[in-house]
Amino acid sequence: MRSYLLRRLALALVTLAILIVVIFILSVVVPGDTSKILTPRGTDAQLEATRIRIGFYDPWYEKFGTLLKDIVTFDFGKSFATEGSVRDIVFPAALRSALLVGVSLIVVVPISVAGGVIAGRNRDSLFDRAIVTVGLASASIPDFVTAVILQFILAIKLGWFEALASAPADASIFEQLWRLALPVMVILIVYFGYIARITRAGVIEAYESDYVRTAYMKGLPESTVVRRHVLRNALQPAVAVIGTQIGFMMGGLLALEVVFDYKGIGNVILGAALKLDPPVLQASILLIAIVFMVATLIADLVIAWMNPRQRLGGSQ
Amino acid sequence: MNYRSLDWTRRNASPLELDLVEHYAAGKISRRDFVRRGVVLGIGATTLSSVIAACGGSGGSDGAVAAGRDTDTDTDTDSGSTDTDSGSTDTDTDTAAPAGQDGGVIVISTQPTSTGLDPVNMLDFAVYAHIAQTIEYLVGVGPDGNISPEAGLSTGWTPNDTLDVWTFDLRQGVKWHDGSDFTSADVAASMDRLVEAENAGLDGVIEAGSTDSSDPSKAVIQLINPNGNFPVLVSMFNSQSGITPADYELGTLLNERPVGTGPFMLTDYSEGEGLANFVRNPDWWGGTTPLDGVQIRQFEAIETQVAGVLSGDVDMIVDFDVLSGESLLESSEVTVLEPPSTAHRQVWFNTSNPNSQFTDVRLRKAMALIVDRPQLIEALYRGKAVLANDHPVISSLPFYDPDAVPQRVQDIEAAKALMAEAGVDELTTVCNVGDNQEIPQMAQLMASMARAAGINITVETTPQANFYSDSWCPDSGEGELTCFNSDEFGIVDWGNRPTPDVFLTSALQSDAVWNASVYANDEYDKLVTDYQGSADVEAQKNAIGKIQAHLHENVPALYCNFRNYLGAYGPGVTGAQVTALGQPIVSRASRV
Repeated sequence: MRSYLLRRLALALVTLAILIVVIFILSVVVPGDTSKILTPRGTDAQLEATRIRIGFYDPWYEKFGTLLKDIVTFDFGKSFATEGSVRDIVFPAALRSALLVGVSLIVVVPISVAGGVIAGRNRDSLFDRAIVTVGLASASIPDFVTAVILQFILAIKLGWFEALASAPADASIFEQLWRLALPVMVILIVYFGYIARITRAGVIEAYESDYVRTAYMKGLPESTVVRRHVLRNALQPAVAVIGTQIGFMMGGLLALEVVFDYKGIGNVILGAALKLDPPVLQASILLIAIVFMVATLIADLVIAWMNPRQRLGGSQ
Repeated sequence: MNYRSLDWTRRNASPLELDLVEHYAAGKISRRDFVRRGVVLGIGATTLSSVIAACGGSGGSDGAVAAGRDTDTDTDTDSGSTDTDSGSTDTDTDTAAPAGQDGGVIVISTQPTSTGLDPVNMLDFAVYAHIAQTIEYLVGVGPDGNISPEAGLSTGWTPNDTLDVWTFDLRQGVKWHDGSDFTSADVAASMDRLVEAENAGLDGVIEAGSTDSSDPSKAVIQLINPNGNFPVLVSMFNSQSGITPADYELGTLLNERPVGTGPFMLTDYSEGEGLANFVRNPDWWGGTTPLDGVQIRQFEAIETQVAGVLSGDVDMIVDFDVLSGESLLESSEVTVLEPPSTAHRQVWFNTSNPNSQFTDVRLRKAMALIVDRPQLIEALYRGKAVLANDHPVISSLPFYDPDAVPQRVQDIEAAKALMAEAGVDELTTVCNVGDNQEIPQMAQLMASMARAAGINITVETTPQANFYSDSWCPDSGEGELTCFNSDEFGIVDWGNRPTPDVFLTSALQSDAVWNASVYANDEYDKLVTDYQGSADVEAQKNAIGKIQAHLHENVPALYCNFRNYLGAYGPGVTGAQVTALGQPIVSRASRV
């Protein structure tokens, strides 16, 4: 297990290094002179001052060195657009996104996995067909469409939930969580079908396998068969999917952030991209990349724990 | 008519005032226009009231005149929004506004800012909304949505007979948020700063050092040329002309130096979260505001703002379009505000860049002829708009010349003929727009109308935050006209101005700061100078008529309609007001 972990970590670091280079090229080299974006309608003197402030004249290797230093010290300096601390812009937004993703996972994963297991266990039953059909349909609808519909019906018309997810600064944790109800509902609708169907497929495959048949023939109780043999094998694909989706959800819920006015990292990335603000863009993308790699690493480790063949490289 | 009272006024009036009084007495201008023009010229409320009363109007109190409310039934059907609704009153006249209570905070929603909170260089309504809470103007806006001596840093103003020297009496006892006194030195420094920043409204109107501040209680401003509308150019309707402290440095953001004279003080601003908080200014000259504070929240999507108002998370939305805000218009709990508005969407053509197809006036005219304006007004604004005729002079203005040019209508065959004359069978172009309310839909609608004439328009939408610098007026090279590299064809939003001066100068005069059409025409420039120097109503009408005709003929831009400006507030507040430039005025608002 240790060697597997070390191998995965090494791979993650290599991936991170490549990502840093790509981010540097996209956020610094490509945009060019951003002084006119940062100082619209500025005089020539103001534009020149902006260029000096953002290091426009620095050679590329100095800029790259600055980026590496920022990563190592976890201090990305100041936003070119606002001159505010990048940490103060990115980290609170990332925490908000993490809260949304975390709460969503707590709700979505058990429900989806349970749905998939029941569907797989009762293959071709009415429940199974309903899970598959509803799951496929709900996943097909764009998330922002679902968001707008739920907001209009459940919040505006019926008043059962809050229309906007951003809570006042002095709001209690309960109010903050309550305001996430609708976004979480949307995520559940979008992801339920995806995770449930993958789980269902794994469960079906497991029930058709020799080892599960053997387990029944050994006289093991149903619960033990399900817990120790079926789920352990059936959930591996689902774990892999959930791991990758965590990274996506961190920065990919922009539509929900806009509809529900939730100031997550997606909004920050959008603003930084529009304003060509490399420090904020770099910090945001790196943060999401790190979350993505950690999430997939944890997923891989969980799978390796569930399936010794993975960590032993397939050897007996 | 009470001739005795009228004669007294006549004897004591300046030539300009007399001209205005005579026009009103002769019935050549409406009472509303008389009041509006009178306020611009600095005529006091008492005089205005007495003239109205003498002429047999059901005038009412001084307060009513100062507020400019029309208590008679004369409505101008051409203007739609400007006559019947004031900036602050409930449009549902059957119900009285609910009584408010002291305390609480109002939450106001805006679009995202495209720049920092720079009071001198700001460009978008979102920044205007922030600045308006803290920074004040020489000339303020009254409850009727028009300029008023009761709402700004000056209590009255007087021009000389030639309209090139204006004396502003400054309000006494006003303090900056840091406790220092407001004086004419602040006004002088602010005017010089606006000249340095090439302020759109004052460019070519004043020059550096033009303000005499020897008397701390008066600001005497010398203009380059006579200008009968100067008070409007130093009012809230020239958003960038706010008064800042004498030692303020150009480029300073409000959150870096949160000092103004206004009813609210900025306490914190997070650009990342799009959130600003203001608290009551306890030393405001206007007294204690009912509200404890203001919060302004920026939203990426207009639909989210609408949802916020309907759900009660947001109290006030400062600007929305009919298409996005239908649920607000239909809600019985929401108070919709329709302040007087000349706001419009200017469809510009780059008339000077050789890379632009629209240097040929025949092609510009062809584009003008493909638009079915009534259909556009119905489709995009559900009728909440006023027809325009390819010039930015709204028909409700007292000096508008209705006989200058016939109303342009859709004529596909004429468009084709013009294209053929220009040697063009099919025209292909790109219309660049910002992602701003109904503007993308407007471009799509024009594209569908244009197909019949063999004109293929592709609509490209840019995020609003980037639109002004990328498409509308990118930087020009050395020796090039301002905005020389603007896209050849696009649509941009213009907020309300009570007089068309800024529309005529900054948008269309040669080398003007916001001239995306890159229109450089000496004849036009002279016509505008003549208009601005016109003293009396007839002279203004004559000058404006020529401008209307010139623009209609040369089409540097299309003006299809003036849209009714829409703002709204929910049932949780009362007494809020908004200008048609997106500036919420909530100093008298309160929570319910």
